[in-house]
Amino acid sequence: MPDHPAAAAARLPALRGRRGRSRRWRAAILEGGGWTLSGLALFVLLFPILVMLSTSLKTLNDVYRVPPSWVPAPLTLQNFADIWTRYPLGTYMRNSLIIGVGATLLNLAAAIPAGYAVARLRFRGRETFMLLLLLIQMFSPIVVLIPLFKIMAALHWLDTYWALIVTNTVFTLAFSIWMLASYFRAIPGEIEEAALVDGCTRPQTILRIAIPVAAPGVVTTIIYVFITAWNEFVFALTFISRTEMRTLTVGLYTFIGRWAVQWHYLMAAALVGIVPVVILFMFVERHLVRGLALGSVK
Amino acid sequence: MIARAASRLTAEERLAYLLLGPALLLMAALIFYPVGATIVTAFGATDKLGRISGFVGWGNFRALGADPAFWQIFRRTFLWTALGVTVKTTAGLGLALLLNLPFRGRKVARMLTVIPWAIPYPISAIVWQWTYNSQFGLLNQFLTTTGLWPHPPAWLAEPRSAFAATMAVDIWIGLPFFALVFLAGLQAISPEYYEAAAIDGAGAGARFAAVTLPFLRPVIVMGSLLSVIWTFNDFSVPYIVTKGGPMNTTDILVTHMYKTAFQFLDFGPASAIAVITFVTLLAFSVVYARLYFREVV
Repeated sequence: MPDHPAAAAARLPALRGRRGRSRRWRAAILEGGGWTLSGLALFVLLFPILVMLSTSLKTLNDVYRVPPSWVPAPLTLQNFADIWTRYPLGTYMRNSLIIGVGATLLNLAAAIPAGYAVARLRFRGRETFMLLLLLIQMFSPIVVLIPLFKIMAALHWLDTYWALIVTNTVFTLAFSIWMLASYFRAIPGEIEEAALVDGCTRPQTILRIAIPVAAPGVVTTIIYVFITAWNEFVFALTFISRTEMRTLTVGLYTFIGRWAVQWHYLMAAALVGIVPVVILFMFVERHLVRGLALGSVK
Repeated sequence: MIARAASRLTAEERLAYLLLGPALLLMAALIFYPVGATIVTAFGATDKLGRISGFVGWGNFRALGADPAFWQIFRRTFLWTALGVTVKTTAGLGLALLLNLPFRGRKVARMLTVIPWAIPYPISAIVWQWTYNSQFGLLNQFLTTTGLWPHPPAWLAEPRSAFAATMAVDIWIGLPFFALVFLAGLQAISPEYYEAAAIDGAGAGARFAAVTLPFLRPVIVMGSLLSVIWTFNDFSVPYIVTKGGPMNTTDILVTHMYKTAFQFLDFGPASAIAVITFVTLLAFSVVYARLYFREVV
């Protein structure tokens, strides 16, 4: 039965010396094993990405060849030029961009003050509010799709950007507040107190001190909201019916329904559509993981 | 009255409520009110525009309870969630342990692992639908030419394989989150604990059981809770990959709700399904969150 790990760790230095050679072997095995296994895992994980890439470089005839082949013959980049004129891809991307930026701004306008209040101020109902955020985080927007549809219809917001800007704002709000509050809480109180003593008002301290110091949190929030809005599907499917108002996700989805599917165009368009979000995602992924783990990762 | 209540608030409290105002207002209008409206509609009879024309008590729920097709979808949603979360958790842990090995290139491997999570769900669903294509798809081409599976099914054409295929897409999307959150958990474990356990003669398996798992417990609890919610509510994957087909055999509660509301315009029963979904997950979250808070706080 091993004793307490910490006690055993204290005996460690004496043992380290004679393990040199076996360690080198171990490292080599780990290196090889790591390569092989992660190569296999990545092959499985990236399989459809490879499919997307291969198809996006094919001609129509090549797409519908039996048996299918991985290597496009002939290899063409024409699809990446054609998608912009054959489909309203530019319009779709512009719509997604407007909605993403709109939702991000609106979200920040509501989440920064709320996150600050939760992190810095004492008030009755604070715990209840935090619990509410946690519950909303575990709540799926699709459950309220029907009344939201009716609200948007009543406001004459169907087929407008507003419908999607406000819904994307609201359903990212709980996470944003939670996330920003954790960054605001990490700012030493003395800095703000000094500013308050020097005659700054609260709003000024928020703008001039809290936000700049919590900048990494603000950036993560911005990217999180933008990506969520860019990726959103079910609201865009339900609230939008005019072609020229479609977002990228719904736009690509509607490519499937009509005629024989032009998979080479669809895959090229998909590739163009995912590049910006994948890059943004890689920047904030560590922060997102930590934020989503809601404190379970220290 | 209001003035007196307000004057009892401290200046700090007044500022706090002012700052919370916009967020609360947005959430009240677009979350709390809709939740209430869904519950009310679930007990109502509705016309094709979703307007309530009268109340039917538990009528909508009773009608669902009497519908064998609904029960089938209900059971399938549980199977979908249980299978999906189990596979994602175990495979995610495996992948995290792998990415935690000290080999060159692990940084790149880690970055590539993010991709399935980063891609918009609908786009992943579209790409998979093409990958599964039985005639021109590269998955079956790969399986047959490598001899891994000489006669693979026409994935999306038959109920069983369509369910498995749709499941696989959901798992594929959800796996990176687990891998990364577990990896973060693993990296937070001080290596001294492992070295100490090794000195005490613990083999790899014993070290895993005595050090890794206990340290990862809170992460596993939280990650699987979130995953249950995400998996249970995954709309785009079944809706796009198979449209719930063939013959509704891949429908889960949320896609069934969507079709009931926006294809058949039965808003009352659809709201009842939404309430069932909501209550099921709420009950689950509350039980689970208790567990979590005992772990972490």
